[in-house]
Amino acid sequence: MAERPLLGQLIDALKCLPGVGPKSAQRMAFHLLERDREGGRKLARVLDEAMERVGHCNMCRTLTEAELCRLCSNPKRDPATLCVVETPADVMAVEQAAGYRGLYFVLNGRLSPIDGVGPRELGLDLLERRLADGKVEEVILATNTTVEGEATAHYISEMAHASKVRVTRIAYGIPLGGELGYVDGGTLSHAIAGRREM
Amino acid sequence: MERDILHSAFILHRRPYSNTSLLLELFTPRLGRLPALAKGVLGGKRNNSAALQPFQPLLVRLAGRGEVRVLAVGEADGEALPLKARGLYCGFYLNELLMRLLGRDDPHPRLYQHYFEALGALSRGIDELEPVLRRFEIALLRELGYQPEFDRLADGSAPDPQGRYAYRLEEGLAPAQLHDPGAVSGRTLQALCGEVDFGDHERREARRLMRGILSHYLGGRPLKSRELFQSRIGNK
Repeated sequence: MAERPLLGQLIDALKCLPGVGPKSAQRMAFHLLERDREGGRKLARVLDEAMERVGHCNMCRTLTEAELCRLCSNPKRDPATLCVVETPADVMAVEQAAGYRGLYFVLNGRLSPIDGVGPRELGLDLLERRLADGKVEEVILATNTTVEGEATAHYISEMAHASKVRVTRIAYGIPLGGELGYVDGGTLSHAIAGRREM
Repeated sequence: MERDILHSAFILHRRPYSNTSLLLELFTPRLGRLPALAKGVLGGKRNNSAALQPFQPLLVRLAGRGEVRVLAVGEADGEALPLKARGLYCGFYLNELLMRLLGRDDPHPRLYQHYFEALGALSRGIDELEPVLRRFEIALLRELGYQPEFDRLADGSAPDPQGRYAYRLEEGLAPAQLHDPGAVSGRTLQALCGEVDFGDHERREARRLMRGILSHYLGGRPLKSRELFQSRIGNK
């Protein structure tokens, strides 16, 4: 049987990207082949290398090609605060926004029994050992505000209490520039319950 | 027409589907458990992923004819049940039970009512979690037609609170052999029927009894949400 044309293979391969359907995949393929071969080569090289070499940081389990990621190996970061997030993308979001100076722990998921994800699948024993070694003084739970995120936060808070580590949860509230009338009831009731003195 | 009806519903489970959609597993009184696709609800203009969470009473309107319906309308119907801490684990447990034991498109309006009441009880207090779970387990088994009877023995006589009894699947209760490790007291049976309150001892026995019965119907693969309780208890 003849090999499928390379062009078809390329279009098919591009469809694995999120948000890319057949039409966009075709556009991308033609763009690379007709207008930007150099860019395409570079993409291929970097993509290949990243797929081969990027793994998880031994400490925080975010994505990195090194043993320890840039954040964990940075001596200026404060090892006494540990921010627990669900995904490497969350690390990036907090890094870009928050002026946070501590370290991270990436769960790469959340507790979700129906999906078959329990404490063991999340590797929470690793976090438990880290909390037990006494260097961490505060855990900031920055899991999502879904029910699974809440359950995960509660589970980790019990672990942290057992190791006598202070636990905080990120605040819920009204988005900046938001109007109360458009905010959903759940967020609003959390925002009222978590109000602050002025 | 069916598509104009608003159904009460709870979400048992949700997972992301393509970029901005959610694939929901709904539990409704009149349609039973069924999958539905909520299109474009993550981010963007139709963002109402906050309402589309488990333990939030919903009003939904469903469209489409395939096995997976399309969620045309999904709005909060009152406040979400504020499950906290272990109550939240219990909520997951109930959802997992329903996902595992209740087939799709098999309506059980009474079971829906039991579920609603159980969530309400779980969200109110932390002391009485276990009896709530036991009551729901029994209601679920009854609705599914398994008929576990705890108020009389297989021969029709009433259990004695001081006696020890063993439960045989498909048969029912019989006086236990001496030193039967699976045996429970008559008082535990009374507690399961709601005639007396659960003490610590009854709680433990009832948990073991129901776990044994359920594991038969679950076909060997244990419930994942139990792990949430187990590993922490070991460390406390």
